[in-house]
Amino acid sequence: MSQAQGVVLLVEDNALNRDMLVRRLTRAGVAVICAGDGEAALTQMRAHLPALVLMDMNLPIKDGWTAVREARADETICHIPIIALTAHAMDTDRNSALEAGCDEYATKPIDFPELLNKIQRLVN
Amino acid sequence: MTQSRNENTRWAKRILQAVAPLRAVAARTSIAIDPPSDQDVAALIEAADRVELLQASTDRDDQHDLMNIFGAIRGYAEILYEDRALLHPAIVDTLPAILRALSAPEMPQDAGEITAKQQPAVVPRSVEPGVILAVDDMPENRDLVSRLLSKYKHTVITAESGEEALELLDTLGVDVVLLDLMMPGIGGAEVLRRMKANEQLRATPVVMISGRQDMDQIIACIQAGADDYLLKPFNPVLLQARIAAGIERKRWHDREAQYRRQLERSEKFIRATFGRYLSDDIVDEILASPEGLELGGDLREVTIMMSDIRGFTTLSEHLPPQQVVRLLNRYLGRMTDIILEHQGTIDEFLGDAVLAVFGAPRKADDDADRAVRCAIAMQAAMAEINAANEADGLPRLDMALALNTGSVVAGNIGSERRAKYGFVGHAMNVTSRIEDVSGPGEILISDSTLQKLPQRYSVGERRSLSVKGIAELVVVYPILGVNQ
Repeated sequence: MSQAQGVVLLVEDNALNRDMLVRRLTRAGVAVICAGDGEAALTQMRAHLPALVLMDMNLPIKDGWTAVREARADETICHIPIIALTAHAMDTDRNSALEAGCDEYATKPIDFPELLNKIQRLVN
Repeated sequence: MTQSRNENTRWAKRILQAVAPLRAVAARTSIAIDPPSDQDVAALIEAADRVELLQASTDRDDQHDLMNIFGAIRGYAEILYEDRALLHPAIVDTLPAILRALSAPEMPQDAGEITAKQQPAVVPRSVEPGVILAVDDMPENRDLVSRLLSKYKHTVITAESGEEALELLDTLGVDVVLLDLMMPGIGGAEVLRRMKANEQLRATPVVMISGRQDMDQIIACIQAGADDYLLKPFNPVLLQARIAAGIERKRWHDREAQYRRQLERSEKFIRATFGRYLSDDIVDEILASPEGLELGGDLREVTIMMSDIRGFTTLSEHLPPQQVVRLLNRYLGRMTDIILEHQGTIDEFLGDAVLAVFGAPRKADDDADRAVRCAIAMQAAMAEINAANEADGLPRLDMALALNTGSVVAGNIGSERRAKYGFVGHAMNVTSRIEDVSGPGEILISDSTLQKLPQRYSVGERRSLSVKGIAELVVVYPILGVNQ
């Protein structure tokens, strides 16, 4: 994915994990902006209209589930694909993420090549 | 959170244990870590410090953080592993354990992990030693490969870059190339591509070396013509086995190429020897049959044709040399075409005279028939030749033709330096004698040729002539034409 196709918004409250993902995405040629909570995520989405959102679901202030639901209800940003990042590979989590309006789902720890594939698929 | 505290603690212990060697190596001032990897190492160690801090905590949020920190450690370890070509091998060596502790599925759990004790009790089958080019940008890897392969008496040449490898390949005869995929500059995939694009190097077996996470690229390399691959860190027995297989492939190829060269040489010889005298399809046929290469002498029945221009010697004395050559070339060129069209074998040109044979080296049922048809076509072509001569102000030519059927010895005659497929025998002399009495524009055939002909030719009155060396008279007939 080239930068011309837009930036990816990474929503992650854990600084270590966020820095690592920014580093990996940048290395892969993906431009990244960040948000540390659900509220900031919505603000960033409205301000920058990113090509895609990587959303940790367990967030302070406003959790990922709520942020995704609100994004889907907002006409200006409801089209932006969202990949949920959660800690557990359980079907219930997967289903609730998809039900909340996420387009894809990735379990932590992240399988990075797989994540890149998902980003690629959703953006193109 | 379904992750229990105990489980996290267990993970934390494993991870801290796995990170310890990297911490130790990174703390050594003797080991330089260049940017940007230094940042990645620092971030990984910082994350490990956080694990140390949080591992005993019972706080729910801390437990959640731990999972994220594991993810960060794994991420940085993967980044470092991707960049291992730029890293000191002592650092690279610490990474697989970290990645395994985080049970990253793509990490090397490969043959390289087999310890010395577990190594399969395979005695490598004896193999011819070969010349191996080991291409790796890391000196430790080059040394390791050299050591392992030298044990089996292989000659190991090393190159530290794709550029150097390509240079060496240009000048050295290499049996197998061990090619690291990830190198700065010209990488393994590009070296492979250039080798496959080069006629001289195309057949040299290539074994790719890479990490497990580069599987996609390895598959691409196999599709691009790599023969095999090895995952790092590789097992010495596997390495030896792949090299042995590569050498064997190369030897087969070399033998095949040598055989092909031999064939080409004999084909060139045959074409050079016969190309001027035989029609192309006969040359092809000789080349197609293995026994065709041995054109030793053999006695065979052929129909011999001799022709000459009546009075040419006198004629040539009154013409400037350039005109003689022009006359001869026009005449002989046309006659050669007609003879080859009728699958005759031209034995030689003697000035204006042509000696051709039908029935050697390839025998056919209609040798005599073709010879007569050829003679008729040759006489018919004279009208055309004379029209061209007249237009150029050159004199008219009249050709006499003689045909005789008899046994001759056919084969390669001459010395090693100068040999040609030729004919010897009394029948040749008889033909020459018939040719002597053949008139301008005439085709005179011996009775032995007439016996071989189908009924469709009309012949003129029989004549008898005496030939030196035989008691009986030779009976000849002029060909008058073909009955439709």
